[in-house]
Amino acid sequence: MNRLKLSLAVACTAALVAACGGGPPTSGNSGGAGGADKADYSQWLDLTGEQREEALVKAAEEEGQLSLYTSLSSKIIDELIDSFEETYDVTLEVYRASGEAVLQRVLQENAAGYGGADVVETNAGEMQALGNEGVLQPYQGEALDNVPDDGKFEGWTATRFNVFAPSWNTKAIGKGEQPKTWEDLADPKYKGKLALEVGDFDWYMALHDYWLAEGKSQDEVDKLFTTMAANGKKVKGHSVMAELTSSGQFGVAASNYTYIVEELKAKGAPVELEPLVAPAIVRPNGLGLMKTAQHPAAALLFKDWMLGDGQKVLAELNMTPSTDLEGALGDTERIALDVEKVVKENEKWSKAYEELLAGSDEVK
Amino acid sequence: MLHIDNLVKTFDGERRKRARSNGKEEAAATKIFAVNDVSFEVGEGELFTLLGPSGCGKTTTLRAIAGLEKPDAGHIAVGERVLFSSKPGEKTVNVPANSRGLGMVFQSYAIWPHMTVFNNVAFPLQVMKRGERPAKREISERVMRVLETMELGSYANRQATKLSGGQQQRLALARAIVIEPTLLLLDEPLSNLDAKLRESLRYELKRLQRELGITSVYVTHDQIEALALSTKIAVMSDGNVVQLGRPREIYQNPNNKFVAEFIGTSNFISGVVSAHRGEQYTVETNDGRLLLDSAADMPGGTEVVVSVRPESMELYEESRPDLPNEWRGSVLTRAFLGDSVDHVIGVGKHELRVRCNPSISIAPGSDVYVRMPPENLSLVPVN
Amino acid sequence: MTTASPALGQETVAEPARWRRWLPTPKMLILGMVGLAIGYLALVPLYYLLWGTFFDGNGVTFGGFERAYGHSQILPLIGNSLWFAIGAAVLSLVVGTSLAYLNVRTDVPFKALFFAASIVPLIIPGILYTISWIFLASPDIGLINRLIEPVFGSGAIDIFTIWGMVWVEGLHLSPIVFLLMVAAFRSMDPSLEESALMSGATRWQVFRKVTVPLTRPAIVASILIMVVRSLESFEVPALLGLQNGIYVFTSRIYFVLRSYPPDFGAAGALAVGLLVLALIGVAMANIVGKSGKNFQTVTGKGFRPRPMELGKWRPVMGVAIVLYFILTVIAPLVVLLYTSLLKFYTAPSWDVFKTMTLDNYRELAGMSKAMTALQNSLALGLGSATLVMAFMAIAAWIVVRSRIRGRHLLDQLAFVPLVIPGLVLGLALSFVYLRSPIPIYGTLFILLIAYVTRYMPYGMRYAVISMHQISNELEESAQVSGASWWQTFRRVLLPLLAPGLLAGWVYILVVSFRELSSSILLYSPGNEVLSILIFEQFEDGEFTVLSALGVVMVLTLILLVSIAYKLGAKVGLNRN
Repeated sequence: MNRLKLSLAVACTAALVAACGGGPPTSGNSGGAGGADKADYSQWLDLTGEQREEALVKAAEEEGQLSLYTSLSSKIIDELIDSFEETYDVTLEVYRASGEAVLQRVLQENAAGYGGADVVETNAGEMQALGNEGVLQPYQGEALDNVPDDGKFEGWTATRFNVFAPSWNTKAIGKGEQPKTWEDLADPKYKGKLALEVGDFDWYMALHDYWLAEGKSQDEVDKLFTTMAANGKKVKGHSVMAELTSSGQFGVAASNYTYIVEELKAKGAPVELEPLVAPAIVRPNGLGLMKTAQHPAAALLFKDWMLGDGQKVLAELNMTPSTDLEGALGDTERIALDVEKVVKENEKWSKAYEELLAGSDEVK
Repeated sequence: MLHIDNLVKTFDGERRKRARSNGKEEAAATKIFAVNDVSFEVGEGELFTLLGPSGCGKTTTLRAIAGLEKPDAGHIAVGERVLFSSKPGEKTVNVPANSRGLGMVFQSYAIWPHMTVFNNVAFPLQVMKRGERPAKREISERVMRVLETMELGSYANRQATKLSGGQQQRLALARAIVIEPTLLLLDEPLSNLDAKLRESLRYELKRLQRELGITSVYVTHDQIEALALSTKIAVMSDGNVVQLGRPREIYQNPNNKFVAEFIGTSNFISGVVSAHRGEQYTVETNDGRLLLDSAADMPGGTEVVVSVRPESMELYEESRPDLPNEWRGSVLTRAFLGDSVDHVIGVGKHELRVRCNPSISIAPGSDVYVRMPPENLSLVPVN
Repeated sequence: MTTASPALGQETVAEPARWRRWLPTPKMLILGMVGLAIGYLALVPLYYLLWGTFFDGNGVTFGGFERAYGHSQILPLIGNSLWFAIGAAVLSLVVGTSLAYLNVRTDVPFKALFFAASIVPLIIPGILYTISWIFLASPDIGLINRLIEPVFGSGAIDIFTIWGMVWVEGLHLSPIVFLLMVAAFRSMDPSLEESALMSGATRWQVFRKVTVPLTRPAIVASILIMVVRSLESFEVPALLGLQNGIYVFTSRIYFVLRSYPPDFGAAGALAVGLLVLALIGVAMANIVGKSGKNFQTVTGKGFRPRPMELGKWRPVMGVAIVLYFILTVIAPLVVLLYTSLLKFYTAPSWDVFKTMTLDNYRELAGMSKAMTALQNSLALGLGSATLVMAFMAIAAWIVVRSRIRGRHLLDQLAFVPLVIPGLVLGLALSFVYLRSPIPIYGTLFILLIAYVTRYMPYGMRYAVISMHQISNELEESAQVSGASWWQTFRRVLLPLLAPGLLAGWVYILVVSFRELSSSILLYSPGNEVLSILIFEQFEDGEFTVLSALGVVMVLTLILLVSIAYKLGAKVGLNRN
């Protein structure tokens, strides 16, 4: 029995030692590229025009494949892959997860010096965080000329915008009854019909700042939001929000992405978002090159393509391409999300929004 | 006291299988008769034993009496009270097990491991209906009285599982009799005990049963137990009662080969009846002639088997031609059994087992004479 | 020379003998390996969790606790969590135990339906099960509400309440209890109940005073697992609770992990809270288990399980089962099937039936990843279920039977993964295997490790309960017969444990199909699993395709589980 005891003790200690191989990164200090070799993009970055494309295609097809980490929906990604692989002889490998998971995975791999991703495509907040961590390669190229200024960032570039806008069920909300301004969402006639998404604190921040800038007092703004929260049911996830709006569970969805609603509308679901409530709140989603890319040429080629021909594919899928905002939104006024602020004041706003929603019970 | 009439219980043989081609269920499963038209009566104060090998239907019969098994047909009554009755054209009566008021001891004792000894015994009293339930004090008194009878008084507060095998057995018995049941059912209660304990408890059980005067039905596969305890035995085979009688009758006059074989060890000698005068028979066998007494009525020429118990035979080294049924043979092996010595004697093609007083022991190879007193031979018809 | 050679010979003989003394016996080797594996699997994520909770860049900190618990909503949150968890646990316990009892111990009709009624809710992915209940019982669009409207008025049933949450979660969890309790009832000597019946007790008294106390270890384990599972559950609180502002622990963990940088300190503090609760539970379960060596109901004294006859209650029970079956299986499945035939969800009407299409199934068939994902999920499910049950059978022996000191630590360790959020587990594993020389990062194996870790606690409970019920004597008698420890284990214990192990195996197989939170971080292109696909369809708002996927999954798993039980029946597991 003594020997058994010993073997168990050894087992546990060994397990501990194995686990203690190194301390895991505590929040916030996981930055910096680890041991993985830096990729050399410089030979192509300064090139332009056909010369650039020729050189890239040659090098990229030699590399043969490309690893993309993204939070794009699988349907869109499938279309993009098809289109890209049709044009170039490069195989796309895709890791798809939520924005947070993409961010965590890239940081983990990077800290361990594992070159997993060549290109990352996800939401503004996560992209900005990656940019701040210094793992992204600054990009140069003619394609940037078509991107509006609020789509250019340190280390990454917007490929498309998510547009926040109210949408509604046409059976539950009669013609002319739909919200025409953001303030309308606080209208008591939507009581019990309005839905708010629990993760949309960035939308909350943008609208909050917009109203203040418009000249409303802090009290007025707070009043509007608390009434909205009191009107509203809470829902997690924009797809669920859209689905439940189309099924009639919700009358009005406060802040859904336009492309999700357009998609359902195209299928014939009783949902509508036009005329679009102004100003449309747009949040960039972007693409960044990894400094540790194993296939730098393919990565660069992909980014060039995404800002070029890829934009057409996005447009066909009801997305809002970054190079053609007007095409998608017409002359509707738009305000862009302050990405840097979202990242910096993340905690403050997400907490404020959470408390706003949680407090809605008491108002009721 | 207990009346069982035409009891039938069948089980589904093979489980129903689906015919693969059409997806419909095959009509009926094959039925196996666990109990096939069994009838018997148990008198007041008797200890009635159902004896037989496993699978003969004895436990099923007992469980049917208990109400744990619902018979297909038949009639069960205790005294005037009908517990079960199912006859064509009549309304079926089936008193649930928990209203029959019987006591039962299970083969595995079924002592509740989560209760103390006291609570195990008190349980049947505690679950009585409100009106009939004795007061707490009376329960306590009655439980202690039964425990004392069973010599378990000092263990009352022990966890039931801390008892030894014999004590658990007595506890199970205590629990069964605490409500003073009209009928006590015992399902192989001694089979889990070692030989020595089994023997002492056997006498204990008999003494208790007599003292308390409880009518009991006892199930066992152990013929010695049955012979020692019972006032009456029913030997069962394949769902039928094949012989019913007092222990001595059954032992000495098995009415068929199964009973003779099952009860104790017997030597069987086959032959043909050559003549009989009244109860005196002469049977011709390959190895010689046998004279014997039998109440059976068999004409000359009938093929029969003569059964003789090892302990009913005598062994001599010298011939005694004046006495009947003496055969000559030689000792093949012998075995010392403590209270006796078994010799196997070869006579012609037969091997006969003869049990002798321990003072007699004859070396293998010796010539001997085997004598079978006519009154100890029984005639068993060949089926 | 002549004198030296025998001496040399002796030495060569003596050498291996001395050496062998230090050579571990197979028994020690096996036990050691299992202990090592469990310790390793549990401690890696635990260490990662604790490190993140108590250390920041500057040293030890309790800031995480402050951020996690120093929140104005924390009290109602804890109240809601406990209310929800205990409610769901009680409901699943009552439902699961009753079903198991009726199924194993009585001659209730429709036993075949039981199988479906008790397993299928487990198979339907949580997201889908919850959504189908929204479609059934939402006060605004619920079908049931529409059906009963003429009698009870509009919106009579509201699924978006704590009761609704308890209902859905309880039903969804009841199969776990069912599987645990079936194993417990199967291995109980029925004469224990029959003797109570013979003593004059009513059926209810028998159940209350004999059956329940005797299956206490299984019941305690069920409650423990159910409470922790419900505390951990995400889909139901997210889809049903949030709408009316009912927040629970997991919503909170979601909020603290969502921000960047993710607040592992606070998430960890919440998880540590759960861990403490769970460890108290395990300790309590052990005390209960220990107070009874006397709960060993498999005694080796042969018994024939005979179903109890229900008599006049038989039709009543039959109706109850059919109703339960309709409510928990048919209704959600019909909603699922119905949705899978639509382009978008609409309440049923004649017009809708005309537009029905198989497009969603066609889309599924055309999805290149679907087949790979199905294969991967199958491989992972079968692999992790088998590994977990094999390991836990041995671990249960260590915990219940051996006298090795520290064996209860092993029990606690095996329980740890239950409270580690999936995301944290994913991070911990990727952290370790990105740095490990063993090249399993980016392969299916890292998922296997994650699954084995996550399902270890369940496997352990199933195995420990079964082990508690097997009498020492059976093992001892095998040893006395000259069998080695391993032979005893394989030839005597394993067959006796088999019903419990099979139940655990089925459970793990089924739930592994929907593991998402750690898979999402650990899978790699080409290693997709079904749950990733579900997640993608969910994120894309493709509820109709998702429903089609759900239907396919349910069918696949029903087939698998049926095969498992058929095989089990062959080796004599299903004794009735």
